[in-house]
Amino acid sequence: MSEIVLAASGAASGTRSAGFTFDPSTTLPWAVPLLLIAPFAAFVLALSSIRTRRSASAMAMFGTVVTLLLTLLVAWGLSRRSTPYVATYQYINMSVAFSGPTNFQAFTIQLILHVDHLTVVALLAIEICMIAAIGWHSVMGRSEPGAARFHAVITALLFACSGMLMSWDLAELFGFWAIGGAMTYLLLAHRWGLDEAASRARVALALPFLTDLSFLCGIAWLYARYGTQKLDALLPILHTNPGWTVRSLVVGSILLGVGIAGRLALWPFISWITQTSVTTPPAASAIAQSAWSIIGIVVLFRLMPIVVASNVQTVRGFISASLVAAIAAPLLSLLGNEPRRAIALAGSSAVAIAAAVVMNGFQAQSSTFAIAGVAAVLAIALARAGAVLAVASIAAAMRTDDLAEMGDASRRMRTSSGALLASVAVMVLSVVGALGFGINSRSPNGFVLGEAVLLCAIAGLRVFMAASFGPLRRRRAFEPDRVRETPGALGWPYWIAAAGATFVLASLFSGWLNLLDGQSHKAASPAAFLTWVGVAVLGFAAAGFGYATVRDGAIAASAAGGRLLGRVMAIVFGAIDRFVIGPATDVARRLGDGIPAGDGAVGRVTTTSGRLALAAARLPAMPVVIVLAVVLALVFALVAPGVAR
Amino acid sequence: MILLTIVSQNPSPSPVGVPGAGIFTQPFLLSLIVWLPTIAAAVIATVPNPRGRYDVAMKQIAFFTNMGVLALLFIGYNQFENFLPTMQYEEKLSWLPAIGVTYHLGIDGPGLVMLVLSGLCGLASILASWGVRERVRSYFCLLLLAETAVNGTIVARDTFVLVLFWGAAAIPLALLILGWGGPRRAGAAWRLLGYWGFGTAALALGVFALYRFTGGQSFDFDALLKPGLSPRIQLTVSLVMIVAAATRLPLFPLHGWIRDVLGEAPPGVVVLVAGAATRLGAFLILRTVIASEPAAGHILSPLLAALAALTVGFAGLAALRTTDVRHAGAYLAMVPGGITVLGFAAISPLGIAGSVLSLFTGGLAAGLIAGVCATLAERAQTRSLAVLGGLAPRMPNIAWLLTIAAMALLGVPILSSYSAEVMTFFGAFKNQPIGAFAVAAGLAVSAIALAVLLRRVLFGSPNPDAPGVSDASLGETWYLGLLAGALLWVGLFPGGPKIPGTEVPLFDPGLITQMSAGISDISSPYVAPTPSTAR
Repeated sequence: MSEIVLAASGAASGTRSAGFTFDPSTTLPWAVPLLLIAPFAAFVLALSSIRTRRSASAMAMFGTVVTLLLTLLVAWGLSRRSTPYVATYQYINMSVAFSGPTNFQAFTIQLILHVDHLTVVALLAIEICMIAAIGWHSVMGRSEPGAARFHAVITALLFACSGMLMSWDLAELFGFWAIGGAMTYLLLAHRWGLDEAASRARVALALPFLTDLSFLCGIAWLYARYGTQKLDALLPILHTNPGWTVRSLVVGSILLGVGIAGRLALWPFISWITQTSVTTPPAASAIAQSAWSIIGIVVLFRLMPIVVASNVQTVRGFISASLVAAIAAPLLSLLGNEPRRAIALAGSSAVAIAAAVVMNGFQAQSSTFAIAGVAAVLAIALARAGAVLAVASIAAAMRTDDLAEMGDASRRMRTSSGALLASVAVMVLSVVGALGFGINSRSPNGFVLGEAVLLCAIAGLRVFMAASFGPLRRRRAFEPDRVRETPGALGWPYWIAAAGATFVLASLFSGWLNLLDGQSHKAASPAAFLTWVGVAVLGFAAAGFGYATVRDGAIAASAAGGRLLGRVMAIVFGAIDRFVIGPATDVARRLGDGIPAGDGAVGRVTTTSGRLALAAARLPAMPVVIVLAVVLALVFALVAPGVAR
Repeated sequence: MILLTIVSQNPSPSPVGVPGAGIFTQPFLLSLIVWLPTIAAAVIATVPNPRGRYDVAMKQIAFFTNMGVLALLFIGYNQFENFLPTMQYEEKLSWLPAIGVTYHLGIDGPGLVMLVLSGLCGLASILASWGVRERVRSYFCLLLLAETAVNGTIVARDTFVLVLFWGAAAIPLALLILGWGGPRRAGAAWRLLGYWGFGTAALALGVFALYRFTGGQSFDFDALLKPGLSPRIQLTVSLVMIVAAATRLPLFPLHGWIRDVLGEAPPGVVVLVAGAATRLGAFLILRTVIASEPAAGHILSPLLAALAALTVGFAGLAALRTTDVRHAGAYLAMVPGGITVLGFAAISPLGIAGSVLSLFTGGLAAGLIAGVCATLAERAQTRSLAVLGGLAPRMPNIAWLLTIAAMALLGVPILSSYSAEVMTFFGAFKNQPIGAFAVAAGLAVSAIALAVLLRRVLFGSPNPDAPGVSDASLGETWYLGLLAGALLWVGLFPGGPKIPGTEVPLFDPGLITQMSAGISDISSPYVAPTPSTAR
């Protein structure tokens, strides 16, 4: 803290020459730590100050806006630097051995705040999402319980996001990762009081916790082999550290990959998002989807050198897994009529496509492809948040979570409907931009990715089509004519989609990619862009045509598919519950009861033997001695050689 | 040993500018810490107390005795020289020379960590017992005697003395449960006596076997526990020691006492047992297996890893299934012990260091979760999870403390258990990757159990038929807050706060700094050789 204050005073009292010669880079020593301190202070204030809904919302918004301004200041400070700004604070430093390999003699965890252009842009994207979500929630979430808790948790998640993006020490990264994970769970489980919400939120704890543990295991695995968890020290010695093996790198890569995939919510790790999509406040779902998309892709981008250093098969395996996720998610999205679940799955598919682009870039030793994938996710994240908020506005106004009961939003809720369309378009076109930079559409991977883009476009647009067109039917206790936009909330999804569109446009230019990773990249060919845009347009056209001609049939087919999927999943989860969870907890219960019962029996035997001993002590001594002597004589006689043997 | 040579040739100056430096030039600090509670117990036992008129005074005597012990510990903690691998504050008096028994006390880094933990838990247990109304004199006498036994076990450097202190802890605690426990207190007390008695017998057996194998000259640690013993003897004795430790920590399957004891004991006893007394099991493994018998340590490390994984997994599953909030707290209090043992199983310097830190953090976390569940059950007038629900708005203090306890068990950053778990896991993945994965899976189950517990108790829909509830009293908040505060303090400042711009400690040299004394020496047999470059 003192260093930050000293830096601030130094920046303020620099020698003044003629005119205004403010150098923004002098603010970095205090502005960068404040990126962590500001949201944390907002968290403490939100917890401890007046706990009304308005004040909590205002405090969260204030903290987020201050962090946004600080981020802009840091971006300004970095604008004249070609190298990242790094500040290091020691957290743990202890000597554990005086002999053996030098890198294992001490254990150090440092708070390394490593800020580069990518960090700043990613943080900006997250802050935009959070501001929009808080603004939307202040109107649409009036009836939500626990406003102070909700907004405090959002600021704590922002603190964790800042930390994760700036971390350059893997133990530090995991620390912020764990805080972020805990806060995400609290956000998704916000409606504790409702039984369905609470039971569904269990998935939001268990599944990401498992993948987070995998992430921790990956870091620990690498530390156990290399003796360091600092990225700048680890990456150069991946192939030179004594004792390194391909196997160790493969295992470490897989563990890290599972951890990141869990938080990116790629299929099959997506149920913590889809299961809670209806039961959690929409703002929480939007924040979770957008923030973790950005964090996950940035961390993947930074850790990919470890995966690439393992072997070619591992990278191929990662790409294949991403391709499967990119295809499976939109297919699942087509089954069922819950719009927020459908949007979450379509978004997951888009992120999987971008992740495949990142991995493909590293495999092809081309940084352009890789950073293009990251740039795409920055736009996708904003689009996901916009789509979730827009569709939640529509669902709230139409008082249903079933696409079959929605309709006519293009006329009754024009802004939300438009924001939904814009968000879906941004989501799909952003991956098109990434693909245009380096995926050959004639390659096997290109073919699969084309399929994924097509399905993603269909999955995204069908929600818009189903909600926006067709009749809005009268239902019990529901009057269609009362459906209208909620004043004060309608602008947020629209603006967030607009911000996403800006990111998409930027990602099409190589200058943006140069800025993000500090390297120079070639511009993509217009023909490649047009090819991939064509695939996306084909998907939009297919969805549009299908819903324009046989809307009710398409919705009914989705509903039937959803029911079938629900039955299959019920059977699968029932089997898991019956054959895994049930027996395991039953064994634990039996052991918990059985062991004390068993030792109780031992205790009773002991007590009985004690009573017998006491009773024996009361007997006349001489007969007992005689009986014992006879018994002993018999034993000795039988044991002695020559009698029984 | 290399460091010892360097230090003896170039003696470093005593730490200056640290509160308490140079006060204790005579070695009697540890005796004071051990016997002060006994003296106070004697005072409480003998002062007249007609019709309970001076009950409060007795509580105050116990409280200020513990404050005094903490003050002594603060001085000793600040004066402790972290660069010395040897025992410090040593006291050695001949006691029974005919059989080689000495009154030998001393501590190194891990011992200091345990003493600090014991001091904090002792004070917390007094605060938690402030509401005791019946037979106050007897209660606080027994509590102080139990503290003496725990502290004595930590500082004993003679195995005969160790066995005495180890066994002595069971008696006052069992009497406390028997006299002031819940409805099933008789079973709990007998179970405690049975298991701990069995553990004491195992420890005595191991000690006497060592005494016999080393020539029957001395019971001193330095003479008895030395790496030069044959691997067969090391293995046999280590197995016996692990059994003794498993009854105390407890480890699966010798955990049968913990559910009833932590479920029936009064909160003050719960904190002392879950926080400090149980950590003695892990401390015994460190002292008698890891530090002294490296051959056995290498051979038995898979067994330790398996015990750790079974303990954490069982605790999580059992807590998930139980319908009693105090039983859930008791099962969850087993989790930190499993993590500590995983670090020992790692037989790597970092794993051992993580385990030592986890002795402290795990003790606090276990004491906190068991204590908060006990207090919650008292305040809610029921312990049935089927009845409890929606308590967060009505008992905000307990809600926050239960949440902090859950976070501490899972190793969430900012709390000190994060550092301990990171060090333990980082250390364990070198030699025991399967054990580490299994413990991680067990932690995941525990996380689910904790989530279910929090949801049911704090955030579920309130039960209109439940009895009336009230939030924690000031004393209860203080005792739980003390444990939570210690977790937070060490989590925020593991190396201690420094004077800005310097490396000079402000008033706390840092638990991690102080605990490192002796760890390098303990872990030196487990240092892996520099590997050759191979693919």
